Amino acid sequence: MRLHYLIYKELLQMKRNPFLKVLVLIYPVFIMCVMPWVMNMEVKNIAVVVVDNDRSTLSQQLVHRIEASHYFVFKGEKASYSDALNDIEQSEADVIVELPDHFERDRMQGKQPQILVAVNAVNGTKGAMGAAYMNRIVTEHLSADALFSTLTDRVSTLYLYNKHLDSKLFMVPALMGILLMMVCGALPALNIVAEKETGTIEAINVTPVGKFSFIMAKLIPYWFLGLIVMTICFVLAWLVYGITCVGSLGWVYLLALLLAFCFSGFGLVISNYNQTMQQAMFVLWFFLVVLMLMSGLFTPVRSMPWWAYLTTFVNPVSYFIEGIRTVFVRGGDFQSILPQLLGLSVFALFFDTWAILSYRKNE
Amino acid sequence: MKEFWSFIIKETKHITRDVRTMLILFGMPVVQMLLFGFAISTDVRNVRTVVVASQLDHQTQRIVEAIDQSEYFNVTVWVHTPAEAERLIRNQKADMAVVFSPDFATKHGGVQLIIDGADPNMAQQYSNYASQIMGTQLMNIMRIEVPNSVSLKMLYNPQMRSSYNFVPGIMGMLLMLICAMMTSISIVREKERGTMEVLLVSPVRPLLIILSKAVPYLVLAFAVLLSILLMSRYVLNVPIAGSVWLILLVSAIYILLGLSLGLLISTVAKTQMVALLASAIMLLMPTSLLSGMMFPIESMPSVLQWVSALMPPRYFISAMRKLLIMGVGFRHIAQEVIILSAMTVVFLTAALLKFNKRLE
Amino acid sequence: MEKSISVSHLSKRYEVQALQDVSFDVNRGEIFGLIGPDGAGKTTLFRILTTLLLADEGSATVDGFDVVTGMKAIRRRVGYMPGRFSLYQDLTVEENLQFFATLFSTTVAEGYALIAPIYSQIERFKTRKAGALSGGMKQKLALCCALVHRPSVLFLDEPTTGVDPVSRKEFWDMLETLRQSITILAATPYMEEVKRCNRVAFLHEGRLKGVGSPDEILEKFKDVFNPPALQHHEESTSEKTEENVIQVQHLVKAFGDFHAVDDISFSVHRGEIFGFLGANGAGKTTAMHILTGLSQPTGGHATVAGFSVSTEYEQIKRHIGYMSQKFSLYEDLTVAENIRLFGHIYGMASAEIESKLNRMLQRLQFTDHANDIVSSLPLGWKQKLAFSVSIFYEPDIVFLDEPTGGVDPATRRQFWELIYEAAQRGITIFVTTHYMDEAEYCDRISIMVDGKISAIGTPNELKTRFNQPDMNSVFTLLARQSTRQSD
Repeated sequence: MRLHYLIYKELLQMKRNPFLKVLVLIYPVFIMCVMPWVMNMEVKNIAVVVVDNDRSTLSQQLVHRIEASHYFVFKGEKASYSDALNDIEQSEADVIVELPDHFERDRMQGKQPQILVAVNAVNGTKGAMGAAYMNRIVTEHLSADALFSTLTDRVSTLYLYNKHLDSKLFMVPALMGILLMMVCGALPALNIVAEKETGTIEAINVTPVGKFSFIMAKLIPYWFLGLIVMTICFVLAWLVYGITCVGSLGWVYLLALLLAFCFSGFGLVISNYNQTMQQAMFVLWFFLVVLMLMSGLFTPVRSMPWWAYLTTFVNPVSYFIEGIRTVFVRGGDFQSILPQLLGLSVFALFFDTWAILSYRKNE
Repeated sequence: MKEFWSFIIKETKHITRDVRTMLILFGMPVVQMLLFGFAISTDVRNVRTVVVASQLDHQTQRIVEAIDQSEYFNVTVWVHTPAEAERLIRNQKADMAVVFSPDFATKHGGVQLIIDGADPNMAQQYSNYASQIMGTQLMNIMRIEVPNSVSLKMLYNPQMRSSYNFVPGIMGMLLMLICAMMTSISIVREKERGTMEVLLVSPVRPLLIILSKAVPYLVLAFAVLLSILLMSRYVLNVPIAGSVWLILLVSAIYILLGLSLGLLISTVAKTQMVALLASAIMLLMPTSLLSGMMFPIESMPSVLQWVSALMPPRYFISAMRKLLIMGVGFRHIAQEVIILSAMTVVFLTAALLKFNKRLE
Repeated sequence: MEKSISVSHLSKRYEVQALQDVSFDVNRGEIFGLIGPDGAGKTTLFRILTTLLLADEGSATVDGFDVVTGMKAIRRRVGYMPGRFSLYQDLTVEENLQFFATLFSTTVAEGYALIAPIYSQIERFKTRKAGALSGGMKQKLALCCALVHRPSVLFLDEPTTGVDPVSRKEFWDMLETLRQSITILAATPYMEEVKRCNRVAFLHEGRLKGVGSPDEILEKFKDVFNPPALQHHEESTSEKTEENVIQVQHLVKAFGDFHAVDDISFSVHRGEIFGFLGANGAGKTTAMHILTGLSQPTGGHATVAGFSVSTEYEQIKRHIGYMSQKFSLYEDLTVAENIRLFGHIYGMASAEIESKLNRMLQRLQFTDHANDIVSSLPLGWKQKLAFSVSIFYEPDIVFLDEPTGGVDPATRRQFWELIYEAAQRGITIFVTTHYMDEAEYCDRISIMVDGKISAIGTPNELKTRFNQPDMNSVFTLLARQSTRQSD
C-alpha cells in the first residue's frame, strides 16, 4: 500500500514537471522523425570528376557511362589532374577518374592503358565503396560484353529482411534503445540526486519506508514512461516510415523492459555514489557514451578487434540491440533471442542488486 | 590587470579541485580516441559465412576457399538448404550465405549471396567484396584473362582506417563541450550560489568577470586539443599532414566560438541544470549528429543539410579533416575559416549585448 | 545629521508587489536594522540599494550617489553580504579573502587593520576550505570579505540566520566596533540583534510599517515581535512518567580522529519537551542523525522507543517523526498531497488520513490552501506544515532540527503552541534551536559543547546552577568554554 502511494507521489511530481513532459513527448517525436534521416551511414552522392586526356570516342563513351550511373554525382570534366585534385581538396569531389593520353589508340593496339581512379579515403567506407563501384563501371565498360554477362548472370545477391536496403530500418530499433536508456537510466538517477540536493531524501530515510519500496517507487513510474515512449516510437515508425515490427511485439517489449531494468539499476548505482547533479550527469554521460559506442548500435561489432569484441559480452546495450534487431527486423522468435534475454537478465539482476545494496538509509 | 589574474587563479582552483569532473574531461577524449582508433570500425571483417552446396566439387571448393581466405569472410558452417541458412542468419549465427546451385560446376549454374540486410550499409559492402572475390575466381576458372585496366589510388588514407575520419570529429565535439558547457555551468553556478551578487557589487567591470571566467577554459581547451593531437599522432599513428600553426589557428577560432556560445547560454540560463541541459540538448546532440562527425552530411535529406549548415562544428570538422589528414593549404580552408569567424563575431556580440550588469 | 542612505518612494514589482512606496533615511555611522517576516521585501530592497536591481518607481541614493546613475561609484564603496553564504566553498579561507581583496583593487595587508579583530579569530584556519568551516566561522569570514576594501556602507542581508547565539553575539560585537566609520544596514530575525541597532525599519508585505528606535518599533508592533510568553504547563509535568523513551549511554561518533559526538549520555522521559542546544559544530545534528537511525554510532549505546540505534534502527523509524534543518516536504506537491503521502508511508488507512487531514487543516487554518503547491507558501507556513506532517501519525517521539530558523517571533510562537499541543497528547519532543527564548519553553535542556554534554537540567535549574539571569547567558557561558575551534 505504501508502495502504491509512493508511486502516486512520483506520478504527481512528474505531472507537475513541465520539463519532463516536454522530454517524454517531444523528445521521442523529434528523435524518431529526424534522427533516422541523420543516422545514415550509407554512402550516397559520391561526387566524381573526370580528366579525359585522350578525348577520343572510346574515352568519351566511358565518361558518358560514368555520368549516367546512378551511383555517382557527376561534377564535370577537368583539364588536368591537379585541377581535379584541387576539387578534392576543396571537398567538392570524392573520386577522380583520369584517362591517359592515347587511350583509344593503345586499346586498339591491344595494349592495356591504365585508367587512374583516385579516391579521397579520409572517410574509409566512402572511399572503399567509391573505388569498388568505379572499378566495376570501368571494367564492365572495357570488358567484352559476353564475359560480363556471364559473370553478372552467375552471381546474384538477395538481401534478406531489408530488400530496399533502407537504413532507417536499421536505425529505428537503435534509437528506441537510446531513448530507453535516457528515460529509464538517466532520469531516475538525476531525480534521486535532486532529492539528495533538496534534502527531501532525509525525510524519507527517517520513515519506515524500506529501501526496496523507495527505489521501486522511483523506478516503476520510469519503467512505465519507458514503455510509453517505446509505444510512441512504434506508432511513429509506422506512421512516418511505414516500418513495423516483423517479429512479435511481445518480445520487443520484454527486451525493452529488461533493458529498462538494467539501466535504471545502473543509474541508481551512479546516483548512490554521486552527490551533485552535475557530477551524476557527467558520470552517466561518460558511461552511456562508451556503452553505446561499443554496443554495435552504430557500427558492426564484428568489425572490432577480438579484445573489443569480447567487451560486447559484458555490455547490456549490445545484448539489447542484437535482440531487438533480431525480432524487429529479422522476425526472430524466442529461440533466436534467448541468449540476449539471458544476458540482459543477468545484467538487470546485477545492477539492481548493486543499486539496492549500495543505497544507504543508515550510514 | 591584477584583478583579472586573481579571477583566473580562483577559477583555475575551482576547476582543479573538482577531481571527478577533471577526470571525465580528460578521460573522455582519451577513451574516445582509443575506442575510435582501435575498437570501433566500419571495416568489413569476420563476416560469418554459411555455404549452401549440395555437392562438393572442385570449383565450389576453390571459390569457398578463396572466400574463407580473404580478410573479410570466415566460412563457419556448411548446410544443405537455403532455408537452413536463412534460419542461421535470423538467429544471428551468420551474416551471409553463399548458395551454389546444384548445377554450378556442371552447367555454369549460378551462385546467390543471401545477406542479412538489417545493416544496409554493411550488407552492400559484403555483397561488393564477395562478388569481387567470386568474380575473380570464376574468371580464373573460366580461364578468362582479366583486363587489369584500372589503377587505384587511395588518397590521404591508403589503409582506409576509420580513425582518420573520427579524429577531427572528436576534436569538434570535445572542444565544444569544454568551452560551451563548462563555461556556462561555471558562470551559472555563481549565480545559483549567490556569489555572483557579491562580484557584481564590486567595482570590477562585469565584463571582466565574465571574460576571466573564459580564460581558464580556454587554456583547458588547448590542453585537451594538444593531448588529442599528440594521441592521434603517436598512439593512433594518424599523420598530421598540414601545418600545425594553421591547425592551432583554426582551433583557436573554434574555441573562441565555443566560449561565446557558453557565455550566451549563461546569460539566459538561471540554474546549472538548465545550463547543463541547454548545452547538452542544443549543442552536444546536434554537434555529434549533424556535423558530419559520424554520419556523412551528403547522405542527409536537404532540409537537414541546411540545418547542418548552421552547426559551427561542421565547418571546424571539415577544416580539420582538410588540414590534419589531407594537408591542404590555407586557400582551401578559407571558406570554413571565414564562416567560423563570422559565427564567432555574431555569438560574441549577442552574448555581450545580452549580458546584464544587474540581476534579472 | 549627514545622510548615508536615502530611500524615497521606492516600488518594485515582480509577480507580486515586492516593495510599495518605501521611504526612509539612514544616518552616517548608524546601524540600521531592517526587520519583517519572510517575503517582506528586504532582499529586494538590498538589491536595489546595491545597484543589482532597478526599481520601478522612486529613487534612492547610497553615500551620495544615485543607485541608477552612480552605479560604478556605489559599487566601489559598499560591502555586501547576501543572505546565503557568499563564499567559495572550495577555496580556502585565505584564498577567499585574497580574492575579494583584489576584487576591490586592494590587498589583505591594506585592509588588515579594519578586519584584524575578526580575522584574527579565524586566521589559524586559513588553509582550511571555506566549505569545511562551521556556520559561525563562515559568517566571520564572509564579513571579513565584505570589509576588506574598507567600504563606507555595509549591507548585511540576514547574516546570522542559523548561527548559534554565541557566534551571533560576537558578530554583533564586531559590527559595533565598526559603526563609527561605516554605515551598516542589516536585516535580522533575532530580537536581541534588533535591540542592538540604532534605529530599525519594519517592512511588511512590501510596505514600510514604521521607522524608529528598536524599543519604539518593538513596542508598537509587539503583537508581532513580542508576543506574550507561552504559559509553561508546569502542572502537566507532574503527570509525566519517569519512563525513558530515549536512553543514551556513552554514545560516540568519530570521523577518523575527529569525535563529532564524544561520549554523551542522557535520557529523555515520555511526553517531555527536550531542548538539545549547542553551538554550530558542537555535534547536535550528528547526534540527532544517530538517534533517528540515519547514521550508525561508532561507540556506545542508545535506545529510542526501546529499540537500539545500532541494530534496530528500522523499528525506530516506525515510532518517530522528523523535521530536518533543510525544509523536507516535497515543494512540488500540494499541502494535502504531502500530508497524504506521509500518512500512507506510515501505513495509515485512507479514511483515517482524510479525517485527520481535515482536522489538521482546520487547526492550522489552512483549509483554503489545501490544494496550494507547497513552494508557493511563506516560510513560516511551511514550517508549521512540516511539523504537523512529522506528528501526523502520532509518533512516540518527534525530532525537530532547528525548526524555526528565519521567521518572526509571532510565527515562532504559533509554532510553539503546536509543539505544546503535541506534547500534551503525549508526544515526546526532541528539539534543537538557536533561539534562547525557545530554550526557556522546554521542560529540560542539554547544552552540548565540543561533542560532549556540559550541562543538563530544567531551564530554571541551569540558571540557578550557573547563577545567570537567562538562558542566553547560560548558553554563552558554556559555549565560550569550547576549545574545538583550535583543533
